[in-house]
Amino acid sequence: MTAIEHVAPHAWRVTVADALAGGERFGGAWASRRDGHPTWRALLVSPHGLRVVSCPASEGHLESIVDLVEAAGWDEREAHDLHGLEFPGHSPLRALAAHPEDPAQWMTPVSGDGVHQVAVGPIHAGVIESGHFRFHVIGERILALDLRLFYKHRGLERAAEGRDGAGGLAYAQRACGACAVANTLAYAQAVEDAGGLQPDRELRSARTVLLELERLYNHLHDIGAICAGVGFAPGSMAFAALKDRAQQINQRAFGHRFLFGSVGVGCGAVELDASSTDATRGALRELHADTAAAWRELEFAGSLQARFDGVGVLGTADALRLGAVGPAARAAGIREDVRGASPRLAYDDFTPASLAEPTGDVGARVRLRAIELETTYHLLDGLLARPLTPGRAVAVAETATLGVGRVESARGATMCAVELDGARVARLRLRTGSYANWPALAHAAAGNLLPDFPLINKSFELCYACVDR
Amino acid sequence: MNALSAIVQIAGGALAPLLPGSIQTLKARLQGRRGPSALQPYRTLWRLWRKSAIDPEGTGVVYWLAPPLVAACLLAALAIVPVAGHAGSFGLGHDALVLVGLLALARFALAAAAWDTGNGFALMAAARDLMISVFGEALLILVLLIAALSAHSSDLRAMSTAAAGSHIWSGPAHWCGALAFVLVILLETGRQPIDNPDTHLELTMIHEGPLLEYGGRDLAFLHWAAAARHWVMLVLGAQLFLPHWGGFAASLGLLVAGVAGLCGVLALIETAQAKLRILRVPALLGIGCAITLAGVGMWVAGVGA
Repeated sequence: MTAIEHVAPHAWRVTVADALAGGERFGGAWASRRDGHPTWRALLVSPHGLRVVSCPASEGHLESIVDLVEAAGWDEREAHDLHGLEFPGHSPLRALAAHPEDPAQWMTPVSGDGVHQVAVGPIHAGVIESGHFRFHVIGERILALDLRLFYKHRGLERAAEGRDGAGGLAYAQRACGACAVANTLAYAQAVEDAGGLQPDRELRSARTVLLELERLYNHLHDIGAICAGVGFAPGSMAFAALKDRAQQINQRAFGHRFLFGSVGVGCGAVELDASSTDATRGALRELHADTAAAWRELEFAGSLQARFDGVGVLGTADALRLGAVGPAARAAGIREDVRGASPRLAYDDFTPASLAEPTGDVGARVRLRAIELETTYHLLDGLLARPLTPGRAVAVAETATLGVGRVESARGATMCAVELDGARVARLRLRTGSYANWPALAHAAAGNLLPDFPLINKSFELCYACVDR
Repeated sequence: MNALSAIVQIAGGALAPLLPGSIQTLKARLQGRRGPSALQPYRTLWRLWRKSAIDPEGTGVVYWLAPPLVAACLLAALAIVPVAGHAGSFGLGHDALVLVGLLALARFALAAAAWDTGNGFALMAAARDLMISVFGEALLILVLLIAALSAHSSDLRAMSTAAAGSHIWSGPAHWCGALAFVLVILLETGRQPIDNPDTHLELTMIHEGPLLEYGGRDLAFLHWAAAARHWVMLVLGAQLFLPHWGGFAASLGLLVAGVAGLCGVLALIETAQAKLRILRVPALLGIGCAITLAGVGMWVAGVGA
């Protein structure tokens, strides 16, 4: 169960500072209403577990912690736009979810001789989600990048309010197609956490299988997309084919290419008998061999590898400072993976993937994904050795009004917080790996060549939809 | 023979779209896709031709003049480039430097149109095109110089005739020229590793960028001009730097085979190579210039001649 600690406004900054000094990491913050008063809550993550610090913001303002932890920047900007909270100390507090016309309200001021702006999106030429990129460039060199997302803000979190625990699941799922399992699983874990429930062994393995299948097709897709970013057709075609085979496996085993509807709250929603597990396992073994062969081809493609090194570098210090998660953070040398601390899933003795030389560039992110694919294949092979039964979550603790779930999506740590009012959802907050990584992408792009940006962007391959919600 | 060549030259205007079309088809097969038919460019041209052009706000004469001007430049280039060593008389002569000038004029017209529209992507791409063409034009002139040296003339017909037979290959200069001409073809046709003709990523575009603001008939002109560039470059390359001998009929046959072979090479390169980092392109073209300069130097010194 997630511990919750209430602090007074004057103790807010000190509490966070102490927690960070004690080795805890910031895992997201969100605004909610408690007895009609706005409350600001932050999730702190340590190897021992999760902790939520809650602080009333009765007058609608609360001291900013962005100087202590830069990763809280987007959370504060969002809360300002969507919940009207003010954060003294966070200056300038730029718009995030809101789209003001005045450029000064959302853009970094960049000026100088020969400096100009290049605007890209929100409508793109390819099949790309809506997002606006404002590059400040000099010649071909990117000086700074401002992002404007939230074009597809659907108000899912607000729409989920008032539903019961199981009913809210659909809202978490519709946040994003490619992270459907991660998002619903984080939601289910949050509701179970609040309900004092712990999944049994069957449920844990079934959910782990689903999460890894999602990672599988995402990582295959991402490697192919990186090849497409530099016009390397053999790589992009090979990995597109592998990705489709992975999605066909999803379709055959669980009836949906994106694994929609495969997670339930408090119980399992999928079942796989012995013959189906054998068939799935066999198909995955074939896919594994073909993936390894396709990856070897990429390793020996000189013109492709020449594009990777030293491009889009995210250093270890910057990754830590900006709160980067997932493959992007691990490629920068941060050995953090939620799978290593997931008692609610079947990851026993899990070691996060790491690189011998975590250079934090495009090449490192590609190689890290290839290493993670190996892990995923091995995990799936082990978990599919026996049939999957639905399983259920059993009561182990008292119920609470707040629960937090945290899972590792293909893009990094995804956090879901659910506050319950009786059986109803009073507040839902979904903070995905993409949400955590967008600021890191903007940082990594600076200093690079403009025509290299599509490649850098694809090496992060972040979602827009689950950020916009 | 000249009359027949003139007919083939004019037919070049109609046959040109077949070249990018067949490269596209070949490429798709090499990548394990079914791909479009080699005739797809004709369908695209037909579709675009029937549509009206667009007139973006704030643009003027430079914008609407550019597509017909670019097409006219390429049409003139078709008239200049001989076929199998012969050419009809179109009153434009057959000087290699006129060809260089026409290609440069077409490039300038498009860059000026990008300036007229003020479109960020178009301007960015045009700026890249101009930056790269500083090296590209030097390379083109040097390569043509190698061919001109052995012909003692800058007349493309004489250059083609001088490149016939096996004797020319005994000196290193011609080999250098042939090697460098591959780079010229890659640059002028806008193909990988220099540019990616298939990309939708505006930020990476070079040749496609200035086309973004065009539609309908104007775009048809520009698409045709891009195809004609393929024709001009491949026909020229096959005549100047691929082995050919015998009479007119044999030369014509070898020319067809040569152009088809070059299409295959382009498809192969585009399949096997990722796009270069943009600031490496001048270096690549610089290497081409060094090779041609070495060729010229060896010719002057009489090595192997």
